[in-house]
Amino acid sequence: MTTAYWLTQLLNALQYSMLLFVLSVGLTVVFGLMNFVNLAHGTFYALGAFVGWSLLRITGSFWAALVGAPLVVAAIAALLYLVMIARMQRAGHLAQVLATLGLVFVGVEVMRMIWGDFALEFSAPPALAGSVSLFGLVYPAYRLFVIALGLVALVLLWLLLERTALGAMIRAAVDNAAMASALGVRVDRLFFAMFCFGCALAALAGVVAAPIFSVYPGMGIEILIPTLIVVVVGGLGSLRGAVAGSLLVGFVDTFGQVLLPQLSGIVVYALLALTLLLRPQGLFPARA
Amino acid sequence: MFRLFDPLRTTVALALLIAGLWWARTGDYFGREILAEMAVFAIAAMSLDLLAGFPRLVSMGHGLFVGIGAYAYTVATVLAGWPPAVAFPLAVAAGAGAGLLVGLATVRARDIFYIMATLAFGQMGYVWVVRSGELGGDDGLAGAPRPDLSALGLDLSDSATFATLLVSVAALVYLLLGRLLASGFGRTLLAIGQNERRVRALGIAPGPYKVAATTLSGAVAGLAGVLAAMHSMYVSPELFHWTWSGEALIMTILGGIGSLVGPALGAAAVVWLKYAVSAWTEHWGLFLGLFLILAVWTGGQGLYGYLERLRRWSATVRDARGREHAGGDRAHQAVRGPHRHRPGVAPGDAG
Repeated sequence: MTTAYWLTQLLNALQYSMLLFVLSVGLTVVFGLMNFVNLAHGTFYALGAFVGWSLLRITGSFWAALVGAPLVVAAIAALLYLVMIARMQRAGHLAQVLATLGLVFVGVEVMRMIWGDFALEFSAPPALAGSVSLFGLVYPAYRLFVIALGLVALVLLWLLLERTALGAMIRAAVDNAAMASALGVRVDRLFFAMFCFGCALAALAGVVAAPIFSVYPGMGIEILIPTLIVVVVGGLGSLRGAVAGSLLVGFVDTFGQVLLPQLSGIVVYALLALTLLLRPQGLFPARA
Repeated sequence: MFRLFDPLRTTVALALLIAGLWWARTGDYFGREILAEMAVFAIAAMSLDLLAGFPRLVSMGHGLFVGIGAYAYTVATVLAGWPPAVAFPLAVAAGAGAGLLVGLATVRARDIFYIMATLAFGQMGYVWVVRSGELGGDDGLAGAPRPDLSALGLDLSDSATFATLLVSVAALVYLLLGRLLASGFGRTLLAIGQNERRVRALGIAPGPYKVAATTLSGAVAGLAGVLAAMHSMYVSPELFHWTWSGEALIMTILGGIGSLVGPALGAAAVVWLKYAVSAWTEHWGLFLGLFLILAVWTGGQGLYGYLERLRRWSATVRDARGREHAGGDRAHQAVRGPHRHRPGVAPGDAG
């Protein structure tokens, strides 16, 4: 248990946190806007990884996959929204949740039909394939790239939400949708845009995660639960909440596995149970 | 309110029971295995309906209770070597205990948060079982015995006898839950689902009712778990997985949430469809997902909801005919019939 070992764990935790952040930020804003849980969020993450895999095979470029997959998935999300979810706007939140549960089942089978049952190899781009020496510690370059990407996404999203008119409208709608609507904000359009944007971010996370975890149809079902925990622990609808939740879940999970191997995997749920009991609204809810 | 001996409900329940008993006698081995599976799922779905259909606690972690029942029975019999007569009540009690804990932990969670909380608790059980060496991890545990009922002249290793017993247990569960839901307790649960604030205003604290319902639901789901373990003589961590809980919820909704008999009907229909569809494609999940989306899309009333609508429609037609014969003096009767509120999936709470 040397310093290098702990530093490696620290970077692993940070990398997992950043992945969770990119995944959860779209979910939390949509959740905050309409009180709508998209159980199929993980499905878009898996879809992003698969589309990215195909784009990588066609173009031979990781960067094309990284940019292209989120666009394709956003288009699919828009279509699904218009065909299905928008029509159920009046049916209530619960109906929408159940419909997205149906999408989870359909999504897994469609991906199995197109890409097969087996885990697909997805190699990191050659430029990031090696390792980097950092404070006397050798760490895979690609994982550092994931951390950097997460931080860039964080800064860009912060600028978007805090420094632009669009961001102000989103924050207003999360805070009080009826009031924002009365002031002329098209809340339903914002919701639609954020839904697609969130799905694109999920797809981005899928491509980014693919070289680390490989690509298989059940990957979305697996990642959904930690993502939902991030959203609940962090609090609905806020960027700060998504950051805090991702870091907490990422670090608690990574260090839980190192320090309490016999309880590995459970500590995250203990964190959630504690949050629900002590602070049901989460750490930094947008609506205090 | 919920009436147990409503003519339509009783007709559907009796039809299911008679079909089940008849099938247990005449079906082949494979058919009887499917029937036993249907009965297990029917019990699980009815226990879920007690939560999701009445106080509207839509649990996405119902597999937790089923899994705990199944594992408690298997561990007690296989690992500890206790007789089934001891392990059986113990496993049902374990389901009830889990229900009590989850009920207490989620008593303040509402709406979407309740879904998330139950989802997470169920998944916690899954991770715990998968990671534990003693419970067999990913491989599950084999060898759960069927109890020896030869004193009653029943040989449970015979598939026909076992299927008959399971169908009878499902019928018993239906009667018990139905009695309960028709009582004052059941009416309070339904009232909590319709408007919790109003229940409070009437001077009733909803918390204890929700916890009691969750405990009871956990016990019945635990029973389903025990029967599942006896049926396949094997338990797998899949019971805990959130997609299993999702499937149980789908059965409840496809059958008709809040009608008690509907979820049993839904369980039978979904299990039957699963085998029918799996005979020619391996993509059963696709159909399951599409059925759920369709059911929600068309109002979320499920199969039983359609039967009720049919009954209402035929009553209206009959009344219209009667009016024609008797002249206009019976016009007021055109609006009779069951216009009471049914807790569908659709109406979202404004709160």
